[in-house]
Amino acid sequence: MTDSNVLLAPSTGYLLLALFSALWIGLGIYWGKKNKSFEDHALAGRNVGLALGSATAAATWITSNTTMLAPQFALELGIWGMLAYSMAAFGLILFAPLAKRIRTLMPHGYTSGDFFRLRYGRVAWGIFMLFTLFYSLTWLVSMAMAGGILLEALAGIDYVWGMTVILAVCVIYTMRGGLTAVIGTDFIQTLIIIVGIVVVGFAVLQNVSVDEIHANLTASKPELVHVLFPAALMAIFNNLLFGLGEVFHNNVWWSRAFAFREGVGSKAFLIGGLVWFPIPIAAGFIALASGALNVAVPSPDMVGPLVIASVLGEVGAVAIFIIVFCSLASSIDSLLAATSDLLVEDVYRRFLKPAATPERLKSVAQYITLALGIGTWAVCVPRIGTLASVLFFAGPLVGAMIWPIVTGLYWRRANSVGAIGGMLLGGGIGLISYFTIGWFVASTIGTAVSMVWVLGAAWLSKDRYDWNLLKEDA
Amino acid sequence: MNFSSGFLTILVYVSLVWCAISAAGLAFMLVRDLLRGESW
Repeated sequence: MTDSNVLLAPSTGYLLLALFSALWIGLGIYWGKKNKSFEDHALAGRNVGLALGSATAAATWITSNTTMLAPQFALELGIWGMLAYSMAAFGLILFAPLAKRIRTLMPHGYTSGDFFRLRYGRVAWGIFMLFTLFYSLTWLVSMAMAGGILLEALAGIDYVWGMTVILAVCVIYTMRGGLTAVIGTDFIQTLIIIVGIVVVGFAVLQNVSVDEIHANLTASKPELVHVLFPAALMAIFNNLLFGLGEVFHNNVWWSRAFAFREGVGSKAFLIGGLVWFPIPIAAGFIALASGALNVAVPSPDMVGPLVIASVLGEVGAVAIFIIVFCSLASSIDSLLAATSDLLVEDVYRRFLKPAATPERLKSVAQYITLALGIGTWAVCVPRIGTLASVLFFAGPLVGAMIWPIVTGLYWRRANSVGAIGGMLLGGGIGLISYFTIGWFVASTIGTAVSMVWVLGAAWLSKDRYDWNLLKEDA
Repeated sequence: MNFSSGFLTILVYVSLVWCAISAAGLAFMLVRDLLRGESW
């Protein structure tokens, strides 16, 4: 990419990158000073309040996909596309009661892996670990890769340099500050992203009215405003279930359920979901304005930045650069922290060193965060292309974990036969439908198959689980 | 049958205002938590 077709001068890009990198690392080091043990590092002392809790739930769910892919969804699937993307908010909203239940049932818990091991045994735990590590590492790599690609597209910063800086910054402040730094920076990042989207959205509306956008769409792409757009309607259910599966199973969210102060979890996830819900619409409608504004869109995934830069010039380009950087950091840091905690708690402590001291566990968590960062960097350097399709590939796998988790938390009859079969059959048949039908039905089918198996196995079971078994000592 | 221009207008403006209120609400909540010593 040459400097002539980027949206922002490279010198401005490097300056912004340096400023925000210094800010996040400085805050991470400052907040990390109070972390003494693994519990402090991994769960912020289990004492996070409502404001920081709500913001971190929303921020972690605002990935670069939310700010970049939502406009693409709107461009390709129209009004239903924006609404379909917003459905992912229900992952957070419906996790709210689960967060309360998790905190009550597992007062000493650390990870979602703890739940699978204690509730369903080692085999189910092993399958869960395979699914969740595949998903988490794919998400992590796709975010880091997206970071490099976006910084290059926005400001002409070399792909490897941009990706390296974003990853290095997140690794440093997550290593030093643990979940405390992740949650603290998430709050600032949430406000920057939301305010940025509001300012940019109203600025676009100063240049083109919604009536003009609607008239242009009706004339040039009528399917985008059609009430019955089949692919978009199917995408609603797929995104809803993909969102549920992602949030319900992933340690990113479970670690927060354990970290929030007692009584805060359900409110924080509900508020986080409500904060997140309008963002894909506010970010997505900008893409619908591209036709009315005569903005050429050579690549659909760049439609948002192109429209904003066209309307607002360099100020808009600066805004989108900051929004994208914050979106990436708020997700990468959470994935690094949660995946590191999962490996420390579920593999190192439970299998390798059960007698490890809290200080030693904290130290191991920091080294694993560093190793994850280096591994991710090594995978990203060759720039093998977008991993968005691989992430959708994980949809049926995460969808297949919804029912084992929900029934396992509320229903004593739920059992390991149901959980194992539900994950394997749901994931397997969901993947087959991914290849034979399409991504937009894979999660729905995987979830449905898993549901039938899990409910059937529970219905036929005579087992009654003892909830006290989940209260394992730390 | 198409979505009307009015519907799209409501959708866009409500989402932008919703975002603005969310940001203000989060900032207010943090100040309240800090004053009560309940931020973390």
